[in-house]
Amino acid sequence: MKTSRRRVVAALSHITCSLPVVLGVTACVHQAGHESAAPAVAAPPAAASPPQPSLTPPTAPAGNGPTEAQAPPSQPPAAANARTPGTAPKAPASVPRPTSSPRSAPLASAPPPVASAPALDLKALEQRLRDTSAIGVFTKLTLKNQVDDLLAQFKAFHEGHSQATLAQLRQKYEELLLKVVSLLQDGDPALASAISASREAIWNVLTDPKKFANI
Amino acid sequence: MPARTVVFLSVLTLLGFGEVAFAQAPSPGKDLKATILLHGFPCDTIVSSQRNGDSDYTASCKDGNRYHVFVDNSGRVVVKKL
Repeated sequence: MKTSRRRVVAALSHITCSLPVVLGVTACVHQAGHESAAPAVAAPPAAASPPQPSLTPPTAPAGNGPTEAQAPPSQPPAAANARTPGTAPKAPASVPRPTSSPRSAPLASAPPPVASAPALDLKALEQRLRDTSAIGVFTKLTLKNQVDDLLAQFKAFHEGHSQATLAQLRQKYEELLLKVVSLLQDGDPALASAISASREAIWNVLTDPKKFANI
Repeated sequence: MPARTVVFLSVLTLLGFGEVAFAQAPSPGKDLKATILLHGFPCDTIVSSQRNGDSDYTASCKDGNRYHVFVDNSGRVVVKKL
């Protein structure tokens, strides 16, 4: 009994002694995962803000305003190094820049796609509206009726049969979009924001006779 | 409810999976209320609704208004004040 207790105590003490090491390794792995994950997330075009934090080290020398604001996330390791020696500012400034500059090249090329990212995918939005569980069947059907009514008014406008002005159509369009977004924003905020972001793109399709004919 | 289930649900909720796990369509009352409002009629809260048939309901609002909500032959949702 005593020997088994001693073994248990020894095992527990071993675990408690090695726990900080395990936590440290876990933290390192966790950090590494974040660092490696950040560029992967940044590479996709859509999100403009997520990629920038990972860009901060490389773009820091450029001296842009936003990059300075993003610097703090990359500072903690530098700050940790700075606590031991007094030459803190030199080390972090010189070390991260060369290592990060090669990474910055592909990331710096990301913004142009971001600018063109808000490409409109009406089919996808329509499908998401059909599939969402944020609104009920009656509500969806009512919205579809109202969308069809508005499309009919635009069709008449483009054919020259409508007495409604473009400003009046814009107001109706805005009202309908507001209804849709307000209905979705609680149950499906992602879809609501996607529709809000596509507001101008949809309007451009509606007002362009050629694009409208392809709907 | 078994303790394991309680613990499992608690963990799901803590991890932020609550909305995903319990996501479901809105209740008929909410659906009817949204439909009535989209047609421009007042209705603060649905207190009762009666199903008359497929896509055919009679809804009573808290403010006393009653509506017949149904889908007509052309596929349009119609709301008639009773």
